[in-house]
Amino acid sequence: MRKIACLGAFACALGVPAAQVTYDRLLHAEQDPGNWLTYWGDYHATRFRNLAQINDRNVHQLRLEWLFQTGGSGAFETVPLVVNGVMYFTTPNTAVEAVDARSGRSLWHYQYRIPKDAKYCCGTLNRGLAILGHKLYFLTPDTRLLAIDTRNGAVLWNVEVASAEGGAYGGTEAPLVVKDKVVLGTAAGDYGIRGFLDAYDAETGKRVWRVWTIPAPGEPGNDTWGGDSWKHGGGATWLTGTYDPELNTVYWPTGNPAPDLYGSIRPGDNLYSDSILALDADTGKLKWYFQFTPHDMWDYDATETPMLLDLPWRGKPRKLLVHADRNGFYYVLDRVTGEFLMAKPFAKVTWAKGIDAKGRPILGPDLSPTSKGTLVCPQCAGATNWMAPSYNPHTRLYYFNVREGCDIFFAKPPVYKEGTSYWSTSIRAQETEHQAGRVTAMDPLTGETKWKFPLYSPPWAGTLATAGNLVFAGDEDGYLMALQADTGKLLWRVNTGNRLVTSPITYEVEGKQYISMPSGGVVLTFGLP
Amino acid sequence: MATGEAIFNSNCAICHGNDGRGARGPSLRGPLRNGNQESDIEAVIRNGLTGTAMPKFRFEDDELQSVVMYIQSWGRGAAPRTKPEGDPVAGKRVYGSQGCAHCHEVGNEGGTLGPSLTRIGAARSYEHMKTSIVDPSADIPDDYRTIRIVTRGGSQYRGVWVNEDSFTIQIRLPDESYASFDKQAIKEEVREPKSMMPAYHLSEMDLKDLLAYLSSLVGEGNQTSEAQRERR
Repeated sequence: MRKIACLGAFACALGVPAAQVTYDRLLHAEQDPGNWLTYWGDYHATRFRNLAQINDRNVHQLRLEWLFQTGGSGAFETVPLVVNGVMYFTTPNTAVEAVDARSGRSLWHYQYRIPKDAKYCCGTLNRGLAILGHKLYFLTPDTRLLAIDTRNGAVLWNVEVASAEGGAYGGTEAPLVVKDKVVLGTAAGDYGIRGFLDAYDAETGKRVWRVWTIPAPGEPGNDTWGGDSWKHGGGATWLTGTYDPELNTVYWPTGNPAPDLYGSIRPGDNLYSDSILALDADTGKLKWYFQFTPHDMWDYDATETPMLLDLPWRGKPRKLLVHADRNGFYYVLDRVTGEFLMAKPFAKVTWAKGIDAKGRPILGPDLSPTSKGTLVCPQCAGATNWMAPSYNPHTRLYYFNVREGCDIFFAKPPVYKEGTSYWSTSIRAQETEHQAGRVTAMDPLTGETKWKFPLYSPPWAGTLATAGNLVFAGDEDGYLMALQADTGKLLWRVNTGNRLVTSPITYEVEGKQYISMPSGGVVLTFGLP
Repeated sequence: MATGEAIFNSNCAICHGNDGRGARGPSLRGPLRNGNQESDIEAVIRNGLTGTAMPKFRFEDDELQSVVMYIQSWGRGAAPRTKPEGDPVAGKRVYGSQGCAHCHEVGNEGGTLGPSLTRIGAARSYEHMKTSIVDPSADIPDDYRTIRIVTRGGSQYRGVWVNEDSFTIQIRLPDESYASFDKQAIKEEVREPKSMMPAYHLSEMDLKDLLAYLSSLVGEGNQTSEAQRERR
């Protein structure tokens, strides 16, 4: 019988127990492509893996190696972690699984039970785990942070995150381990919460800092909210951020202001909703911010990946942050200073005519939602969303899923009631329009499209780039597909039988490369014969 | 009331009309088939109606209450629905002589190319049914869109669009069989704005009688067609 602890070459060579993930390993995750150590794979969130065993010449032979049935159903949005041959993931029904990454056989199972009286917003969907040492970090739907022992699934500690704040916060995201801290935020921007981002001591679970995304009176930015509207201003932090170790800066995106479609209740820019926050990793101190959609009235959360790229910008090496926003524009920022460098639309946009030299939208005719309905593009769910983009340093292309379409936005006056939804979302697609989607390959320095692969429905799945000149992508109709990275040619596809609402990963165990994708209540894993 | 009206306009009006007088869906003015009490209306909105196009809606309690109040504000006393003037018994004969059963089911009798008419009298307004007979292409239900496909091999197919994704299309043919196509094997694909159903030019009396017969069809819904909708 094989010993699980020795499945991975790394663990065997060093003679350490499985799943010993040091901060140094996280720092160098890009040089360790056989493992998938963070939600984004590494701190920069390029989702590129330097693995080429599966490549554009043989991917047509890709076949199912195993599948794991969680028994759960609903939105399976998790991104598994893979460490030394063991895969860890959360399920749609609040369990955490550890399975042998070669066979899909269970190693341990932990079931979290939400207390009956818990108030939380957003169902039981979850996007995954973080890992450090022997601890997995799991943010539960009712916003508890759990440390779970990687070796047996035992809960080591369980601390409160948001329940003391009242309202109905929700936990959906994978936390981010930064040095000795666990950084995380919450969902529920549409439940009238006041958003925040927290850091916890990774060893003890003690909270180290909290940063509110909506400033209180006396704090800079509070004057961008009329009256008391800041109290229920939203600005949730429901998508995992990224980290630049050299700058010791955490980049975290924030969600829409609340109530979402009814702007007149909250006059002003509504900082720091729909923004990227650049924060000191040790203290949470705000270094800079950039707001994509000031005074948003169409629910354009900025909770899309803040990808970190080091590329020559106009001939000079520069630390960039690139971000395709739900509002339909692709942005390039300098991540040292927050300086706006460029923006370009990547889908049909009507809410703004363009972006000015400082990065602020140029508004056209009034497109505020009304009781009769206002047609606005992109659609409420955005021209893209939280599904992951990827970047391949060999092709120098940025791959992301685009959602094309418009919605009719209706406004209704909302009333805040603690613990219930505080949105004025009423949207409808036009009957005459078929909303579609595509995988787009784009030059991240210019926003120029290199190729497009059309999808029948607007997708909710992300992409993965590999050194095999491949891009893996998923679509709303359940297809996992492999496209040739430089041409966009379809090389392989399989219907997984359920809509895909997360992003594929790849890893390697004992010299064999795998591709893994959750779908429905199942994790499917593929490899070459 | 403003909230209820806004919720109605954005969620309900698409089927029941901007003023609740019915469009594709039935009028909500006058007596309601599933009960006139607020609790009845709430139950229909919350749970949907199995076997019909009426889906479940998830509203917060206060939102639900406000939309129900708005619907109730029209009053239940009067019945301004258009009353069928014709004779349903004669209408059943028209239904038979015109060959409607080739493509439509009532209960388990009839064809399946077109929509089941088992509860059409409850599901559609009188005006909508009338239009559907004299000008079927005016409003084609999503499940019955016409598609014409020419394959690279030169074969031609015309049928009802059933399902589609990035790579394949499934259609239902006039002989009630299914066909599936790989998009790469398709040379030409035309979404016709025309219904598979021909327009019927009936005498005024026959039309009234037929409408009276259709209005009388208020049986249990067809669960199969609903299941198909959910599968997508």
